Amino acid sequence: MVDSTAPGTTLAPAVSGPLAVRLRRAGELSREVLRNPTTFLGLIIIVGLITMAALAPVLTEPNTPDAYQMPRDWGAINEPPGTPGHIFGTTSTGGDVFYGVVWGARTSLRMSMIVVGFTVVFGTAMGSIAGFVGGRVDEIIMRIVDVLLAIPELIFALAIAAVLGPSFANIIFALSVVFWVKYARIIRGQIIHVKQNDYVDSARVVGDSKFNIYRKDVLPNSVTPVVVQATLDMGGIVLVGATLSFIGLAEAGLAEWGVLVSEGQAGISSGRWWASTIPGAMVFLWALAFNLLGDGLRDVLDPRTGGR
Amino acid sequence: MTAAAQLPAADRTTALVASVEDLKVHFETKAGVLHAVDGVSFDIADGETVGLVGETGCGKSVTARSFLRLIPTPPGKYAGGSIKFWSKEARANGSDPVDLLSVPTSDILDIRGNRIAMIFQDPGKALNPALAIREQVAEVFYQHRSDDLLAEWNGNPPSVIRRAAGQRSGKLEWVAMKFPPLRSQARRLRKRVDDLVGEALAETQIPNPRKIMASYPHELSGGMKQRVMIAQALACNPDLLIADEPTTALDVTIQARILELIRELQHAHQTSVLYISHDLSLVRRICDRIAVMYAGRIAEIGTTNEIFHEPRHPYTRGLLAAVPSFAHERGKLAAIEGNVPELISPPASCRFHTRCEYATEICRRIDPVLDGHGIGRSVACHGYVSPEELGVAAADIPRLDRSPA
Amino acid sequence: MTAVRDEPLAPEPGVDSAPVITVRGVRKYFPIREGVLQKVVGHVRAVDGVSFEIPRGETLGLVGESGCGKTTLGRCIAGLTDATDGGIYFRLAESDRLFLDEMDAVPEAERTLQHQARIEAIDLAHRIDRMKGDSWRSYRRNCQFVFQDAFSSLNPRQLVKDIVGRPLKVYKEASGPELTDRVVDLLQSVGMGRQHLYRYPHEFSGGQRQRISIARALALEPEFIVLDEPTSALDVSVQSQILNLLHELQQERGLTYLFITHDLGVVRLMSDDIVVMYLGEVMERATASELFAAPRHPYTEALLAANPDLLEGDEEAEMRGLEGTVPDPARPPQGCRFHTRCPAAIPQCGWEVDDAVAWLADNSTTLDELSGVERASEFDAAVRFRDSDAAAEAKALLEGPEVSAPMQGALLALSASGAELRIQFTEVDPVELEDVGEGHLTSCILHTSRSTHL
Ligand SMILES: Nc1ncnc2c1ncn2[C@@H]1O[C@H](COP(=O)(O)OP(=O)(O)OP(=O)(O)O)[C@@H](O)[C@H]1O
Ligand SMILES: Nc1ncnc2c1ncn2[C@@H]1O[C@H](COP(=O)(O)OP(=O)(O)O)[C@@H](O)[C@H]1O
Ligand code: SF4
Ligand code: SF4
Ligand SMILES: [Mg+2]
Ligand SMILES: [Mg+2]
Repeated sequence: MVDSTAPGTTLAPAVSGPLAVRLRRAGELSREVLRNPTTFLGLIIIVGLITMAALAPVLTEPNTPDAYQMPRDWGAINEPPGTPGHIFGTTSTGGDVFYGVVWGARTSLRMSMIVVGFTVVFGTAMGSIAGFVGGRVDEIIMRIVDVLLAIPELIFALAIAAVLGPSFANIIFALSVVFWVKYARIIRGQIIHVKQNDYVDSARVVGDSKFNIYRKDVLPNSVTPVVVQATLDMGGIVLVGATLSFIGLAEAGLAEWGVLVSEGQAGISSGRWWASTIPGAMVFLWALAFNLLGDGLRDVLDPRTGGR
Repeated sequence: MTAAAQLPAADRTTALVASVEDLKVHFETKAGVLHAVDGVSFDIADGETVGLVGETGCGKSVTARSFLRLIPTPPGKYAGGSIKFWSKEARANGSDPVDLLSVPTSDILDIRGNRIAMIFQDPGKALNPALAIREQVAEVFYQHRSDDLLAEWNGNPPSVIRRAAGQRSGKLEWVAMKFPPLRSQARRLRKRVDDLVGEALAETQIPNPRKIMASYPHELSGGMKQRVMIAQALACNPDLLIADEPTTALDVTIQARILELIRELQHAHQTSVLYISHDLSLVRRICDRIAVMYAGRIAEIGTTNEIFHEPRHPYTRGLLAAVPSFAHERGKLAAIEGNVPELISPPASCRFHTRCEYATEICRRIDPVLDGHGIGRSVACHGYVSPEELGVAAADIPRLDRSPA
Repeated sequence: MTAVRDEPLAPEPGVDSAPVITVRGVRKYFPIREGVLQKVVGHVRAVDGVSFEIPRGETLGLVGESGCGKTTLGRCIAGLTDATDGGIYFRLAESDRLFLDEMDAVPEAERTLQHQARIEAIDLAHRIDRMKGDSWRSYRRNCQFVFQDAFSSLNPRQLVKDIVGRPLKVYKEASGPELTDRVVDLLQSVGMGRQHLYRYPHEFSGGQRQRISIARALALEPEFIVLDEPTSALDVSVQSQILNLLHELQQERGLTYLFITHDLGVVRLMSDDIVVMYLGEVMERATASELFAAPRHPYTEALLAANPDLLEGDEEAEMRGLEGTVPDPARPPQGCRFHTRCPAAIPQCGWEVDDAVAWLADNSTTLDELSGVERASEFDAAVRFRDSDAAAEAKALLEGPEVSAPMQGALLALSASGAELRIQFTEVDPVELEDVGEGHLTSCILHTSRSTHL
């Protein structure tokens, strides 16, 4: 490596603080991520969707008592898009599609944040214990993971949700039970790999505690694939969640894209495409946006593809 | 020393195998254009071994890979210069050389492995882990010497066999060769390939070549793998062998053996060799002439004797002095302080001036040129130029102690 | 330079003369596991009975080919790996060492209670795998390690300040601005400076990273540093910077080094004593000047011949290498471990059935007909072939002129009966390290007391 900062030369720039250095690095990294146009597009869509979710009470009049329930206007059923007051049209039960799209974004965001938040933390914890402690503990955890991984995600989540009865909370629970194993597996593999680096041994020589070695050396160098996977899952979970709602595992009338698609599908054959196609497109857009961002992150962050 | 090192000037062009002229290779990077090789010129004469030495990152491998156009483009770019190459035929009938940087891709593919062969630092990575050694060495014969495979055929080999020898058989032909009357002929071809592969391996003094032929790369040690690479490289009797640090990954005891082997085979085949290494004591053992590289440029060229006994460039002197040897006292090892400079938009100055103890003001202002680059001695340092030539006062010329360090 | 502080762990009186490190018969075996059940099918004998001392302020050089156990031994000494057998002692006094040597000769059952108590006391105070609490912490501080690969030994997500300051934080020696000052001092002592504090490792060249590693190793002002090939990844010009730096630091701070390398030029320059290892065992040990002037082991000679000095000797001098490769450390050769590659070998060097089989494999195709080997011992086995022709052919080959004379000389009997070939070699004891004068130890039987019986 060439370097202009050889000992004895004074070409080095002025001293800058640790915070500035870290910020500069974060800036460099994000610039690198966003240089890819498709990643940038993904981020724009995500920002748009999240803004929409955040502004839901402003964009629409929240339903009372529960804003997450679709309001019903029995006087305006099957209105096509463009109708005043119902720009995306209405469903066969008088639900405003626009309301469903906007509040559905909230539902989706809530669902993916809860599920990803829980699975990342729990999966990372289990994977870390397995990878860092090793031996018997590792074997037991990984056997459980292997068994869970052998069942296809959708079918597994479906089975759990079906047993627990139709409710959106149960869907979230089911997804949480299913998705953590992936993280456990990723982080365990990373840790076993990272543990072999000499910097882990040099921390041992210095006499640092096991927990500090895990916290400072092992974890920070293992998390990037988890970040990438979590981004991809932010999209994937909405897709699976919508599928479960679609087959009727959520409460009827919930402002959720899958539920809307399911309600509207009957009308497609009679030409009323909007009630299911528009929420369907939202699911697609959401999943696509996070996939674009996730792929972009992977290109820059994942060491196996050459980034840092 | 072989005679080639002292070739009379008149013979120069007829006896050359390759001539690199003002080669420039640049890389597009985030920080800017990196001048990895920036105006490198040297010649390789017939049957000669030229050593290319220098620190990590000074552009040795990039120069070597340019001979076979192996630089990934982008980010790389051949930004200028030429690499002229005379094949045996060209030398025999006095025809013009080809420019390796501008010939069509199909020609380069034919030259690779056939006229110019290359061995790499890491033999493990250069061999295909999924193929038996036999197949990997046989590949070279199929690709470049299909005529030889049929040379001792009594009678005219059928076209199916001809195509098989060139690895151009169709699926149907493969099946046909499993049945009489073609089967016996196909067997003969296979036996001939086996014989040639066995011979090529035996030449590298591998014990029990037949057994090695059936093994896979992971079953062999590093030294063995490097021997297989050498067998592969020399199978076609190339005009030029490029060896990029072929022994760096090996133990010293094995390294000595491999070096000896390359030297012997080179004499036997009359192949020219470009030998790249960062280890001066190695190139001294094997090379006729040595080119010392620094930061994308040639600093000095000369015969091995000249470089070792009468080094001129301050960098060469520094390198020689830095090798730990019997003559040193502990803690008093001569070191070249500092690091290789940035190769992104290098300024017009001597690239070594940041580390050179003789540097004067003109070194920071004027870029020294390599004074001629034929088979003779040349050095790129202002200390060897007259003040008139540079148009500066005599006092500004760096005063090097001109006797050897 | 670092501010002078109270020596945190003042050595006990009289300990000054004790070697900093005493290695006594250390072995390290790694289990080889196979199959789904991960059954242990054998052991890689990475280090197999090594002993030496490193006196205070001196440098012991450890050389050998790759895979011969240098790093493993270094890691055992640094407490990064537990030795399988034997002991590593810190500041073991001469009298205690002599007592332990004496006790080695006494079977455990015959040791008196006083003996046992004294061994226990020595172990608790000096033996690194038995130390507890404070003495262990003291050792941890006083023994540091510099790794070969400067790229993987620095955490890529930490700033230089955090890397170099970490040991100080762990022992709560400094914090805040004081920590920064101490780190700057350390960086300056390795030729770097304040401007490098807030950078990541990837912004530095190999030589600078190695400087950072050295600064970190110096942070706790240790007595002893294991240097595992600290310059083998660097260019000569940078290597000499680092070697000079290491020497300077040793002079200033009275450091003791274990210098691991495969480069004889470097080891000669840096070491007072040199230990030559091969396949986990010590082949030869002597002072640096003695070893280079009068090597007494063919392996050392081979290493020297493969490493001709750059500036002396003429160009055309033969650079002799060694035939063959290092044998499998899971099944080291009998007698002298070097006999399979030794150019000076004689019949008494430990020739065994494996050598005959390996020779047949390399020089003939008879082993294609092999169906099994039944060993009575390493020196006596029945080799079974599929047909009697192959057995006869193998016998003829082994009796033929192509087999090396020493191996043939060691053959006791060679009898073919049907498809079976019985191969018997003279049994030989393992070689032992012996003093051949003025602390020059060698294991080659051409030079030890066994030479009189040859
Ligand atoms: N694919 C690439 N992309 C960008 N830069 C490159 C690439 N390949 C080489 N370089 C740069 O070109 C310069 C010369 O590299 P080269 O590999 O030739 O060095 P070298 O002398 O062979 O060093 P070493 O002894 O480490 O092999 C270096 O600065 C290197 O970083
Ligand atoms: N963790 C391990 N598991 C199994 N074998 C090992 C391990 N570490 C080292 N070895 C083996 O021990 C031997 C000595 O290794 P090492 O000390 O690293 O060699 P050196 O440093 O001399 O190159 C080698 O055969 C190596 O493969
Ligand atoms: S030109 Fe000047 S700086 Fe360059 S090597 Fe010669 S004396 Fe040194
Ligand atoms: S004992 Fe000496 S002569 Fe015999 S094999 Fe070993 S080193 Fe060679
Ligand atoms: Mg290179
Ligand atoms: Mg090692």
